[in-house]
Amino acid sequence: MTTSVHLLEQFCLAASRAGAKTVRSICPATAADYIVRHAGGAIMLPDFPSARRLDLAALLQAHGGKVQSGDLLRTSCPAEAGITGANFALADTGTVVIESTAQEVRLASTLPERHFVLLHPAKILPDHMAAVPLLRQLHRRRSPDFIAFITGPSRTADIERVLTIGAHGPRELHILLLEELSDDFLEC
Amino acid sequence: MSRRTRRYRQRIYEALDDIRRQNALHRFGDAYLAARNEAFSGLDFDELRREIAVMKDTVREDWQTHVDTFIRQAEKSGAAIFVAEDGQAANQYITRLAQRHGARLAVKSKSMAGEEIELNPALEAVGMRVVETDLGEWIVQLAGQRPSHMVMPAIHLFRDQVAELFGKVTGAAESDDIAHLVEVARHTLRKEFLEADMGITGANLAVVEDGSLALVTNEGNARLVATVPPVHVVLVGIDKLVPTLEDAARILKVLPRNATAQAASSYVTWIRGPAPAPNRQRELHIVLLDNGRSKLATSEQSRDAWRCLRCGACANVCPVYQAIGGHVFGHVYVGAIGVVLTAFLHGLEAAAELIQACIGCRACVEICPADIDLEHIILHLRRRLAEKEGTGKVKGVVFKRILRNRRLFHGMLRSAARMQKPLTDATGSIRHLPLFFSPLTEWRTLPAIAERPLRDLLAEEPCIFAPRLRIALFGGCAAEFVLPQIGLAMAQVCRHLNIELVYPETQSCCGIPALYAGDVETAAELARQNVKALTESEIDAVVTVCPTCTSALVRHFPELLADDPVMAERTAELAAVTQDAAAFLSKQLDNLPPLNHPAIPHTVTYHDSCHLRRGSGVFLEPRKLLKAAGWSLKEMNHPNRCCGFGGSYSVLGQPAIAKTIACDKLQDIMGTGAETVAADCPGCLMMLRGLLKKRQLPTEVAHSVELLAACLP
Repeated sequence: MTTSVHLLEQFCLAASRAGAKTVRSICPATAADYIVRHAGGAIMLPDFPSARRLDLAALLQAHGGKVQSGDLLRTSCPAEAGITGANFALADTGTVVIESTAQEVRLASTLPERHFVLLHPAKILPDHMAAVPLLRQLHRRRSPDFIAFITGPSRTADIERVLTIGAHGPRELHILLLEELSDDFLEC
Repeated sequence: MSRRTRRYRQRIYEALDDIRRQNALHRFGDAYLAARNEAFSGLDFDELRREIAVMKDTVREDWQTHVDTFIRQAEKSGAAIFVAEDGQAANQYITRLAQRHGARLAVKSKSMAGEEIELNPALEAVGMRVVETDLGEWIVQLAGQRPSHMVMPAIHLFRDQVAELFGKVTGAAESDDIAHLVEVARHTLRKEFLEADMGITGANLAVVEDGSLALVTNEGNARLVATVPPVHVVLVGIDKLVPTLEDAARILKVLPRNATAQAASSYVTWIRGPAPAPNRQRELHIVLLDNGRSKLATSEQSRDAWRCLRCGACANVCPVYQAIGGHVFGHVYVGAIGVVLTAFLHGLEAAAELIQACIGCRACVEICPADIDLEHIILHLRRRLAEKEGTGKVKGVVFKRILRNRRLFHGMLRSAARMQKPLTDATGSIRHLPLFFSPLTEWRTLPAIAERPLRDLLAEEPCIFAPRLRIALFGGCAAEFVLPQIGLAMAQVCRHLNIELVYPETQSCCGIPALYAGDVETAAELARQNVKALTESEIDAVVTVCPTCTSALVRHFPELLADDPVMAERTAELAAVTQDAAAFLSKQLDNLPPLNHPAIPHTVTYHDSCHLRRGSGVFLEPRKLLKAAGWSLKEMNHPNRCCGFGGSYSVLGQPAIAKTIACDKLQDIMGTGAETVAADCPGCLMMLRGLLKKRQLPTEVAHSVELLAACLP
């Protein structure tokens, strides 16, 4: 097994252990279809490079999706789903790393019930330590900045230690692995 | 007893009556340990924690420079920084900021520093509404309480209680279904996030190299608090600084595993500067809190506590915490680290009762991800407390007048052996004591003082000619005067190994009782007497049959006599050759003659004594001895959990807590159905025997050396 295939396998396993769902080897059209079928309502779509590259808004609408964009805090009806890209991912913990400096990206990955993440399968690093040089570059590139490491859906065990999914963030985390995305680690 | 102590005792009794909470904390401890082991599988915990300790120490040694650099870097990213000397300064900065913005509602994510400085009352005093958004914190806030655990603030409450609290907020009768309750919190708090004028979070890490902050959460509330309101305040202790992003990665590998047994928490959020929002200005204010931390950094004895990552694990494994909960075994911070932090952040007076409530079992030391010797620090605090308040009248006289004078001390024990006769039964234990001593024998019998002390019995043992080795036995008070048969068994095993065992005449109490009570002078005097006694003649090793004595000889004597120009070297030499009987004998087993094994092996279960397992790292060796003696070993649940003895802890200190811990141990022993329970510490043996006898249970209790001696030819 090549290193990247091995990392991909490890990532998918760890992500599913953390409660995320991974969808592998799909094309942009099937991805859009998957998202629309699972969104459960309006979809927050912030502006990010991979979304532009795929013309995701148009693809989603073509599959019947109701897309929200712009100042998402001011939208009147709450969205059920949000889509963001991922800069890269960590294999050992099943973590996706998302540069979230733009408010729309932060909201799309925080407020809705379901969060869909688009990830290029070649952008998987072994662990957090391997990601430090990239984290450093991201920090240096822009100021201020806000970077999210996300592992599985939102959870709590604060009542009698009973694990409950969906505390304040998304109840579902879907990670879609597409090769048609940007392969630049500094870009989502 | 002072009024403060009497009040605290009352709180302990009330806590011990809450069986439901106790059971919950026990289940939590068990589940935590199993899951944590899984989370660390394949990783070298000791290496990871050493790295963290070294890194945190470098920051501590030069914290001012790190603070200055952090400030420069964070300012570059557009954050405003305020260094708060104390809680009052921090509260004033944050309330003024709120007033400047006309803020009426603040949402908070969990911040122990916020609890520490009582930020919520300060904000409320200027007319603000403050809403905690971490589920556990919100529950505790609604209940008008403090968190009883650093990571699980509401672990002391149950679903029905939460339902009642939530019902008061929603005005409806809420079901006690946990998923429903989480949904109620999600729904109710969502509105607060969106309407808040100010968001307040803590931070798990502040990175010096680029001024970034990391927030670790599972619920996602901190992300909302940091994203939606126009003003974000981060309250972070100066002890959270780490030099580089690599250092941060190291901590992030260990923290979630040790705190919640997760490989990674759901969200690690990195923040540098005020993240922008369309059409409005956002502000990020970082309040760097000292509030006693710089004092902690310079305390030679306590400074390692600076390393704490606030994972809460020391409470998870603490038998005292499991018995009385975090509200009683804690102030704002709970558990072992709570004892230490309370002393520095809230004053020695606030920590006084907590310092005495620690049983000293070192379970926290074993689990700490920053390699903090919490027991050592708590002992030091006990010393400081004794300097301030004294050790109490009885202990004061016993230690200074009697313990330091071996002839007087031993003479008194010999006469006590004669005087106790009317109270003693045929098995050599005291079942009942008259009058005000009676609580001491209410739940366990006490061992009587032996008719003849160990040194008299050993004098009658046959001599060995041309021995292979010559060792000195350090008996310790319990083996010398209460359970001399242990020392005698050791002598018999040595004889069969062709090892000469000598018993230096002038050895005395190891001094631990005085040391643990805070009387360092008496402890040092006894250390001096014992070092002299044990280094007078040529020997190959010093062996003890009490692991607490071992810790005195190996760990405490060198500390106590470090500044003594005459004794320091001899003390170090003594420490180097001292070991526990099991450790010594396990290496000699091949030299034993064939042993008499029973045709059908009897079952034994082994209790790991705190000072042997965690003090000396010895736990495989005694099991090896038992197997060599032909026993079939059946492990109990929690074999290395404290038995509740703790020296004077179970007699004078905290007998009620000791009893609860002891009953847990009894349950674990009985669960094995073993005929015999073995241990290597005379204190544990006395405790276990007393417990079993009081309940008229037939399980035998023996030192592992006794079991080995029993099958000698």
